[in-house]
Amino acid sequence: MFTLEFLTNLLAATVRLSTPITLAAIGATICERSGIVNIAMEGIMVVGAFFAAIVAYTTGNPWLGLLAGVLFGGVYSLLHAFATVTLHLDHVVSGAVMNVLAFGITRFLMVLIVGHPGTTPSIPRGLGRYRLSIPLLSDLPLIGRALFGQTPIVYMGFFLVAFLTWFLFKTKTGLHIRAAGEHPLALETIGVSVYKMRYLGVFISGLASGLAGAYLSIEANVSFTEGMSAGRGFIALAAMISGGWHPVGAFLASLFFGFADALQMRFQVLRVVNLPGELFIIFPYLVTVIAVAGLVRRSRPPRAVGKDFMIERSED
Amino acid sequence: MKRTMLMLTLLVLAGALVFAGGRSEAAPDRKIAAMATDVGGLGDQSFNDGAYQGLLLGAPYGFEARVVESNQQTDYIPNLSGLAEDGAEIVFAVGFLMEDAVKEAARMHPDTLFGGIDIGGDDDLPNFQGILYREEQSGYLAGVLAGLMTKEHASAIPRLRPEHNVVGAVLGMLVPPVERFEVGFIQGVKSVNPDATVLSVTAGSFVDQAAGREAALAMIEQGADIVFQAAGLTGLGAIQAADEEGVLAIGVDIDQNHVAPDAVLTSAIKKIPESVEVVLRSVAEGTFQGGTVSYGLAEDATGLAPFHGFDSMIPQEVKDALEAARQGILDGSIEIATSRSQIRHLID
Repeated sequence: MFTLEFLTNLLAATVRLSTPITLAAIGATICERSGIVNIAMEGIMVVGAFFAAIVAYTTGNPWLGLLAGVLFGGVYSLLHAFATVTLHLDHVVSGAVMNVLAFGITRFLMVLIVGHPGTTPSIPRGLGRYRLSIPLLSDLPLIGRALFGQTPIVYMGFFLVAFLTWFLFKTKTGLHIRAAGEHPLALETIGVSVYKMRYLGVFISGLASGLAGAYLSIEANVSFTEGMSAGRGFIALAAMISGGWHPVGAFLASLFFGFADALQMRFQVLRVVNLPGELFIIFPYLVTVIAVAGLVRRSRPPRAVGKDFMIERSED
Repeated sequence: MKRTMLMLTLLVLAGALVFAGGRSEAAPDRKIAAMATDVGGLGDQSFNDGAYQGLLLGAPYGFEARVVESNQQTDYIPNLSGLAEDGAEIVFAVGFLMEDAVKEAARMHPDTLFGGIDIGGDDDLPNFQGILYREEQSGYLAGVLAGLMTKEHASAIPRLRPEHNVVGAVLGMLVPPVERFEVGFIQGVKSVNPDATVLSVTAGSFVDQAAGREAALAMIEQGADIVFQAAGLTGLGAIQAADEEGVLAIGVDIDQNHVAPDAVLTSAIKKIPESVEVVLRSVAEGTFQGGTVSYGLAEDATGLAPFHGFDSMIPQEVKDALEAARQGILDGSIEIATSRSQIRHLID
């Protein structure tokens, strides 16, 4: 049963299933590093998925859909930044509202634009059709198909893990973002706006979650369905925490959850153990609970995350 | 100032959400036929949409359709009762999860008629009619088709893989109607192709297309060349996967050929709108009866959708076998089990 072919397929499925979680988790990492708690990935993903599908459907061009998904994810996340940074609302409350609101907005817009709730018509051509197999490398056993035989957004995910790690730890802006989450007063003292850094952190996480949504609606599939994020935004939250608020850690944790999911489906297919399917479905979630409980002790959140920062200003 | 702006924005959005759920208002002289959806809501391309289409078919009998959507299970009783108190002639509950709620509402409002899709009736509730479907019949016919095509007649369609004898079923959640579809499918396959392997994955959701796609891909990796889906919107992902991988899919509930015309061989049908119309007609004619009605092949409520582009490719022999199976089900010579526990010998 555990042939080379099986393991190669398993790893490819692991990467596919972990991509949306990875994207949302690395974005959230940047956001929390800037000091803003973000539990709104689920909602932002839904918004991104919706606009990606609608634009891809109306223009017939999935690349424009991709752009729209990312941008609307970013724009929608600014609502969270506005509520938490400018209005000093509680981060968790704002995030919860963002999640509920996203489901309401997409349902409303479905009725308005598509004419019925539920699912959009199929887009003519999804990004899943643009499979980029890198010659030679994609033929490698085990990891070839998983790493070098994927579709566009999966590669973007790989790239973003590296890019955001570099951005966060090797650039001045990255340093400022981290300072905003560790010691905002110190940052403000040297003349850098904490508000701006926190807006930037939230916005980056919005773009990344929007991309995760676009992956679900126009790359893994060819239509938007209400609620299609199906809890992945919350799994991403767990991945961010188990990954120790580090993009690479978040990526590895997401891969692990993707692996658990890919494995449970194959357990069902192969009837490895004769148990009802429902018991297999809880497997990735069970793993999540164990991972968070086991790893969370060793990881430390940014010191000022979730703490409100208000600048004293003279009346204008 | 900014706070005021935010409040205004939120108000507008909140208003938008409230009105998003609204449907047409009934004129006072019209009778109201109402329904409360389950949490899936309208747009599920399954029982909620089917029941709504059925209400619209009631227009010739003087019925105005009204829908209330349930956001959570605790909404069921208030929604059903609210519709009854608003003067609806008949109120439908949709989906077996609403069974307890609709029976409770029927007891609370003995003067209002109630109907339940995928819900069995009770003898002591004369104002409630439960409507069940023989999903296992549609599943069985789909299974006979899949069982014959996957190996014996695999050369007839280029998308089939003659080297394997494997078919699969992607399920949403294992609720009774889905189980009947699956169990019927397995029996159908085995009746014509006892050596075939029937794979099955429960995705755990009716709206998670990505999970449906991955479930189908996991089966296709194992050699499945026909994937049957009984998974609601999750199943759209399964059909998409079959299309991408160049194999075939079988749709569910309605004719799903439009989802992927090159991949959808047929669909296992469940005609909900027509059965709702039958109930509405009985209300209009004053012949409504409590209890349980069961719709199947005999009522033309179950069966297979047309083969569309595949019609010319499917050998006459297979069509004859399907017709024989249909006749067998109709005359009772073929008995189909409806739960997994009854077909242990086929699964294990």
